[in-house]
Amino acid sequence: MTDPSDEWHLRAERRFGMIVEAAPNAMLMIDRRRIITLINRKGEDLFGYPRDEIIGQPIELLLPEQLREPHAAHVAGYFAAPRDRPMGAGSELVGRRKDGSEVALEIGLSSVELPEGSFTLASVIDITERKRIEDEIRRSNSELEQFAYIASHDLQEPLRMVASFTELLGQRYRGKLDERADKYIFYAVDGARRMQQLVSDLLTYSRVGSQGGPLVAVSADAVLGRVLTSLAGPIRDTEAAFGIGPLPTVLADESQLGQLFQNLIANALKFRGEAPPRVRIDARVTGDRWLFSVADNGIGIEMQYAERIFQMFQRLHERGKFAGSGIGLAVVKRIVERHRGRIWLESTPGVGTTFYFTLLPAIEKVAA
Amino acid sequence: MTTPANPIHVLLVEDNPGDAELMRDTLDGSALALELSVAVDGVDALDHVLQRGRHAAAARPDLIILDLNLPRMQGHEFLAELRRLDALRATPVVILTSSDAGKDIALSYRLGANCYLTKPLDLVAFQAVVRAIESFWLSLAKLP
Repeated sequence: MTDPSDEWHLRAERRFGMIVEAAPNAMLMIDRRRIITLINRKGEDLFGYPRDEIIGQPIELLLPEQLREPHAAHVAGYFAAPRDRPMGAGSELVGRRKDGSEVALEIGLSSVELPEGSFTLASVIDITERKRIEDEIRRSNSELEQFAYIASHDLQEPLRMVASFTELLGQRYRGKLDERADKYIFYAVDGARRMQQLVSDLLTYSRVGSQGGPLVAVSADAVLGRVLTSLAGPIRDTEAAFGIGPLPTVLADESQLGQLFQNLIANALKFRGEAPPRVRIDARVTGDRWLFSVADNGIGIEMQYAERIFQMFQRLHERGKFAGSGIGLAVVKRIVERHRGRIWLESTPGVGTTFYFTLLPAIEKVAA
Repeated sequence: MTTPANPIHVLLVEDNPGDAELMRDTLDGSALALELSVAVDGVDALDHVLQRGRHAAAARPDLIILDLNLPRMQGHEFLAELRRLDALRATPVVILTSSDAGKDIALSYRLGANCYLTKPLDLVAFQAVVRAIESFWLSLAKLP
C-alpha cells in the first residue's frame, strides 16, 4: 500500500517531467554538485548528446575547455545565493556540442527545491543566428556611418569652391550686370551656403559614430566647466544663470560628453523666453545608471513634438526665426545612444523644458 | 614699405587651382609689392625652392604657404625636406589646410611650421585669413 503523499509526489514529478519535455526550449537541471540530473528532447538536439550519455555528467561537459573552471566557481556562487534570472537578462554563454563545435547560448535560470535537495533549472536558447544578424547589423551600420563621414567630408571641398566662386562673383559683379543676374547670384550663393551647412552638419553627425573615442572615466563636472567657459559669450549676452548640482564621474568619450552639454545648453539659451535663461543641471542615481537633467525656463515645446526634435534636420520653427539647421539635438541623441544611454524630455510650453539622459557610471555598479 | 624693385616672394603650395585663384584674387588687392608663385605639389615645391626644372629661374621665397593634402609629395614630407636645407631652414612656413585634425597640427609644428591655419568654408572668412597672413607675416613680422 503506497502512502497517498508518495502517490501525489510521483504524479507531480511525472507531470513536471512532461512539462519540461514539452518545453519549446532546451532545458536541463543540475544539482549542487553541478551534475546534470535532467535534460529534455530539445536539449538533446541542441547539444547532440543522447540523454543517457549526459545524465550524471558534470555540466562542464557542455562548455568549451577554457570556460569550465570559471563556470564551476560561478555555479558554486549561484547556489550560495540562488535567485531567478530571467531570459534576456544579458547572460550569454558559449556552449560546446558533442561534436566539439561551439554554440552561442542565452540562459535563464530558476532554482527548484525538491525533497532530494536544491536544483537549478536552466532554460537554454541557441542564439547563433541572432548573434550573426546582430553582427551583420552592426557591421552595416558602421559601414553606413563611414560612408556618410567620407561622403560629407569629401563633398566639402568642391562645395567650398562652388560657394566661394559664386560669392566672389557676387562681390565683384553685384549691380554691374542686371537685376536678374543679381537675383540669380543671390539664389546660387544662398543655396550653396545652405548645402554647406547641411554637409557640415551631416559630417558632425556621422563623426559621433565613426570618429568617436573610447569610453573612459570622465568627470562630468570638469567637462561641464569647460563647456560653460567656451559658452561665456552667449551666456553673458543672454544674462543666463546656472544652477549646477554635484555631478558624477561617468563612462564617456570626453569630447562627445562636452558636445552633449554644449548642445543642450546652447539649446536652452537659444529657445529662451522673455526672462533671462535659468538653467539647472543635476544628476542622480537610477538603477545602474546616472540620470542627468538639464532644465530651462525657455519657450518649451508641445509634447507631441518631443520625439521629432531629436530627428536630423527637423525644425519646429520657420526658417529665419531661430538660426540653425536642426542638427543639435540629433547629435545629442546619437551621442547618448553611443554611450548606451537614453534621452527624453518633459516640457510645458511657456514654462520650460527638461532634458533627461542616462549615462553609465565610471565604475560598474553605482553605490545606492 | 617695400619698393616694387624689391618685392616679397610668396610661394603657395596648393594643388587646388580654385584655392590658388582665391588666394591670388585676395592678394591682388594688397598694397604690398608681392610676387605669388604656385607649386602644385610637394615635388614641384621642392623644385621651386631648389630652383630646379621649370622653376630654375624662380626667386627664393620669403614666405611659404603650404597645404597639407597634396599629390605626389604630401605637405608634411615637403616641410621635413625643406627644414633639411640650410638655406631654407629658417624660411617661415604657414600651413593653410582644410584639416583640423589634432595630429596634423602637432606634426606640422614638430616639423618646423611657424603657424597653422585652417581654410574657412566661407569666402569672406577665407579672404580674412589671407589678409591676416598678409598683415602679420608680410607687413608686421620681420622676415629673415
